[in-house]
Amino acid sequence: MSMSERMDAILNSLDKAYSGPVCSIKDWDVKVIPTTVHGILKKHGLEKTCDIDNPCNTDMELADRFYQAGRELALELGFLCEDTERIIRIDESDLQDAMNQYPKEIVYGSGDNEVIMKPRKPEDPYPPVMVAPLALMMSEEYVVAALAGFAKKKKLVDVLNGLTIDKPRGREIRSGTPYETWLGHYEQELKRQALWLAGREDMGTCGVANSTTEYGHLGGAPATPGKNPTTMCLLPAEMKICFGNFHRAIQALNYGQRIHSGSESYIGGYGGSVEGATLICIANDLLNLAILRCDNTNNNVMDMKYFSGTSRRALWGNSIAIQAIARNTEIMTDRIVETVGGPCTEFYMYEAAVGYMIHSASGACKTLGPRSAGGRFVNYITPVEGWWVGQVFKSCAGMKLTDVNALAKELIPKYENELGNPPKGLSITECFNLHTLEPSEEYAQLYERIKNELIGMGMPLNQVFRQ
Amino acid sequence: MSYIGKDCIVCRIVQKRFSRSRVIWIHSKGDRRGFKESIYYKISLEENNMTNDEMLSRISHLVADGEQDQAIEAVDEAIKMGIPLLDILNKGGTEGMNIVNERYDSGDAYLPELVIAGDTMTSVVEKIFSLMDSREERVGTVVIGQAEGDVHDIGKNVVAAMLRVNGFEVHDLGTDVSVKKFVEKGLEVQADILAMSTLMTASMPYMEDLPKYLRDIGRSEDFLYIVGGGPVTPEFAQRIGANGWGRSAFDAVKICKRLIANAKGGNHDFLVVDVAAGLQ
Repeated sequence: MSMSERMDAILNSLDKAYSGPVCSIKDWDVKVIPTTVHGILKKHGLEKTCDIDNPCNTDMELADRFYQAGRELALELGFLCEDTERIIRIDESDLQDAMNQYPKEIVYGSGDNEVIMKPRKPEDPYPPVMVAPLALMMSEEYVVAALAGFAKKKKLVDVLNGLTIDKPRGREIRSGTPYETWLGHYEQELKRQALWLAGREDMGTCGVANSTTEYGHLGGAPATPGKNPTTMCLLPAEMKICFGNFHRAIQALNYGQRIHSGSESYIGGYGGSVEGATLICIANDLLNLAILRCDNTNNNVMDMKYFSGTSRRALWGNSIAIQAIARNTEIMTDRIVETVGGPCTEFYMYEAAVGYMIHSASGACKTLGPRSAGGRFVNYITPVEGWWVGQVFKSCAGMKLTDVNALAKELIPKYENELGNPPKGLSITECFNLHTLEPSEEYAQLYERIKNELIGMGMPLNQVFRQ
Repeated sequence: MSYIGKDCIVCRIVQKRFSRSRVIWIHSKGDRRGFKESIYYKISLEENNMTNDEMLSRISHLVADGEQDQAIEAVDEAIKMGIPLLDILNKGGTEGMNIVNERYDSGDAYLPELVIAGDTMTSVVEKIFSLMDSREERVGTVVIGQAEGDVHDIGKNVVAAMLRVNGFEVHDLGTDVSVKKFVEKGLEVQADILAMSTLMTASMPYMEDLPKYLRDIGRSEDFLYIVGGGPVTPEFAQRIGANGWGRSAFDAVKICKRLIANAKGGNHDFLVVDVAAGLQ
């Protein structure tokens, strides 16, 4: 699909934001979404299908039924534009056109650092792509070294995202102001330094981590290093879109970048049950493709009770949603595992292992992480969690879903009782050497111990080094 | 008498209990959003021979189920029966809030039910207070919103709904709200508490701006101030001069109640409630 055709498609969606049916945000949230989701779940017999005793779904017929129901939801509802309070609807031809024009593969980076993302199916041995880190908060003085730390493990981390810089040049950055415009660009300068330090200057890059609004993106996107960088659009939940998302998508096309877009769907939120959140997640994948013409979708099921994706029901919901899309479309999904444990804790190692194993075996094509300590604290993220995520995510490609489910059932009890009050862990200066870019002895030992334990339990964690 | 739900044990029990009165039952089981396992029923009387406790229980269930019009009708009936206004509010409405709180906590109700029940409670509170002489009996008034630059409001919506279902008068300013708007609305409605939430670190400086702005316009003493959201820690909250911080929506309700109670006693100490971490 040419750039101009793609831009036309996005502008057509924008036109609908001015001509679609009127609906207030409140009606959308408390009437339209719950009623429609409930009706479709009921129609397809999908209520109460969640089996928390089997956190990774192995019933492919169920995944296919969820896909059909999610597709129906996408076609019936569309997205609500928050700015105009009008509904952007799509029809079969919009969806089919978007699918027909969808790329067969996506290349990140160049030269020795080139990786190719392809559509994956459940139990697919083709390795997924690892993007690190999630844009968590880090003091400016540690940012370059930390990013270089993520990038230095070529086998484990394919694409470099950024960190949110805490008080750059001693300033508080207020979103939507010129500070943010400046910071978007400044972040790219630091990213270049990090790539140079890691010896991976042609590594793929992704996003403007410091772009809360379109201003940060406006400042940073044109300066993003690397070939074919990616722009990110985080849409408001549930099934909503705003002009900020359109700004980013259009700017991405203006500068020849990839579009990565999506949102969370919440268990306990407007979609209701885990089945409802799962249905929304699938519909979101289809709508992001049809409305924003994204290159890859990034929708996740999150459990509002813990603001986590590693509870049993969130894991189940994500497994179904990933499988549904992977089996029935060629869409390349990015799925974040919303972890909550902090660096250098057994809790984190176990919850991340379970989440990324399930996502990888279910057919996710890419992930963005780590989300250490749930992103709640400044400097509570280290490259080691990124390496761990990469090792699990890539190594588990090709695992049988039945084996994944059996292993998940053994591992989840190791952390689930603490999900409501997860350990904060250690800060980067307490468990990572920012000069040598190596973990502390304590963290290195923990990594090896848990890795060997999981290998002993049947997780093929060294497979990544043979790929 | 007529009723639907012959196979339901609750219907049978209630039918027996009211067998001598003219009761119309409307009963549904398993077909209401989010309440598949719960039993949902409404009673409407052609001839009211309810006791006060039964009427209050009726109000509770109507509030919990978000039946706004019927809840107001029931409040009118309760007033005609001579039930004290505060009893209608506390033993009727507030008890209804406890029911929906429990449903939400146990996963039997979700955010839409919480929002609708909160709206119903707001109507009940407005009705009761319109008949009272003063605002003294209100739980409190909260102005809530998402910090400037942030449009991710689902957590804030849960807190707003939870505050409403617990009897607070809540003015939700939505997303991307400037500090000035918070203060203007707070002054307009004579709020007890200003509550700002954000998921985005780049919106956190606006949280710090609010107490500064209040100081600069000489209004620091007019409001209590709480903050929350993913990246907001209790340490940050205390440093910027907020009065309280809670991890969850349930914690936020506790914080608001305690802050208001403490303020009445002249105590403005910083409070943290984090039930999950054992801090209550």
